[in-house]
Amino acid sequence: MNKTKLFKAGRIWQMLLYAFFTVFLLLILFPFLWMILGAFKNVRELFAVPLKFWPSSWSLKNYAEAFSAQPFWKYLLNSMVISGVSTLVVAVTGSLASYALARTPIRGKRLVLIVVLTVSLLPPITLINPIYQMYSKMGLLNTRIGLALILAAVEMPTGIWLMTSYFQSVPFELEESAMIDGASILRVFISIMIPLVAPGLFTVGIMTFITAWNNYIFAAVLNQHAAARTVPVALTLFETESYTPWHLICAAAVIVSLPLVLIVMLMQKRIVSGVTSGSIKG
Amino acid sequence: MKSRQRLIIGYLFLLPAILLFACMVAYPVFNTIKTSFYSLRIQTLSRGGKFIGVENYAKLLQDENVLFTLKFTLQFTIVAVVLETVIGMGCALMMNREFRGKDLVCAAVLIPWCIPTVVSGLMWSYMFAESYGVINQMLSSLGLISSPISWVTGESEAFLSVVIADVWKTTPYMALMLLSGLKTVPEELHEAAQIDGAGKIVRFFKITIPTMKPVLLVSVMFRTIASFRIYDLIKVLTNGGPGRSTTSLTMYTMQQYFSFGNYGYGATLAVLTFAVSLVIAFFFYDGMKTKLEV
Repeated sequence: MNKTKLFKAGRIWQMLLYAFFTVFLLLILFPFLWMILGAFKNVRELFAVPLKFWPSSWSLKNYAEAFSAQPFWKYLLNSMVISGVSTLVVAVTGSLASYALARTPIRGKRLVLIVVLTVSLLPPITLINPIYQMYSKMGLLNTRIGLALILAAVEMPTGIWLMTSYFQSVPFELEESAMIDGASILRVFISIMIPLVAPGLFTVGIMTFITAWNNYIFAAVLNQHAAARTVPVALTLFETESYTPWHLICAAAVIVSLPLVLIVMLMQKRIVSGVTSGSIKG
Repeated sequence: MKSRQRLIIGYLFLLPAILLFACMVAYPVFNTIKTSFYSLRIQTLSRGGKFIGVENYAKLLQDENVLFTLKFTLQFTIVAVVLETVIGMGCALMMNREFRGKDLVCAAVLIPWCIPTVVSGLMWSYMFAESYGVINQMLSSLGLISSPISWVTGESEAFLSVVIADVWKTTPYMALMLLSGLKTVPEELHEAAQIDGAGKIVRFFKITIPTMKPVLLVSVMFRTIASFRIYDLIKVLTNGGPGRSTTSLTMYTMQQYFSFGNYGYGATLAVLTFAVSLVIAFFFYDGMKTKLEV
């Protein structure tokens, strides 16, 4: 084949590729960017016809108002604590359970895995009312620990699947040699296994945290009082029957999303590996 | 002996997770199933429920709302999952090359995944606004539409809006999962086939797809089950409207539970949702098998 023709085809192909990704990126990011722009616009500009693309001024007025319209600091704190506790519970109980599945000779592993799979297939709606009633009787409604526990339970399957595969990828010889040296299993687990799977554990942590943070259905039903309310729920409360304060909603949504976007930007490789290893190894 | 010690430790290690599941999952599920056989409402909660056997289930079969919401939920699930898989696969194929800015694309792709669904619902709600929303304004200034589209207030348009918003939110995630599946296809297979004269399309269907079948099945299965339970997005974008045309099965169940306080019937609907999820899972049994081995 003509060498210049090949070369040209390669260049065109490259240009197409970059064009594709530019459009792709724009489509993915536009809604988000539009909301960020909206957070700086005043009420008139947000409802403007014809469209006002750029805000007239980059004032932080909307952010201030969003924080005073609802006690957003409290909600951010609640979400932090709840997601944090959830993540901790999943990390600890999930690691223990995964190690048991991956490395100990217990019986009934298949049954456990069936249970784990069933939990992942369960729609939250199947759990929500009994949990509500149970929490109501136990005084766990509108608490941070209550919500954290149920979120941990529903996110456990992903954690277990990931952690099990991470434990399995640790060469057995490492454990063996430590145990021959006389270390107890608990020692081996804490001093050797955990450090070895730490990157994977970290990934599980990030994913659990983000999923817990974003949960709506349990948070809306279980933590209805303002004292224990989480951020996603608070976002839906700006709207009234007659009026949607987009300036507040956009500002609040940006505040809510920014930490998550930052985490994703910084930990992108970890998250991608967590997402993808979950689908390959199962 | 060492082995016995490992055995005991194994059970001990497993215990916390099992306890958590027992309290937070097993008990509620059994409670829901049990409640579905009772007539229980919030007004009569203190008196306890009245056992009515399968009466709730009979009611369910005759409830027109169930048929309607189930139909919508299934239609939505099929359309959304097909779109997300096809578009996701296309994106994955493109992302399976080395190019500058790949990290940026991967990071950007995670943004729709990492923000709360309610944020995405609110964003799209703002963009889909009939008179001032950016989408209608851009479409009409480009001359593509003559009158504004009622994205969230028109019956068929609302379906479309929900699909678009969901596709935006989850296709990137799908693309990532499928990308990982693409990476399991050995380059040598493609090269060998190319030498034999197989074109791109043939190679895609005869090599790529079969090799990444496990990943494809698992991804599609979980996506289908997740789409079936849709609630957050619809709640914020259309609130089930107009009328009940975008009310999902989960939303209808929530209404029964918490707007009407009809716990007995709500439980029946919840059991239905679970049953359908299990049926979907059995369709993908092949894909599930990897989750049942350790």
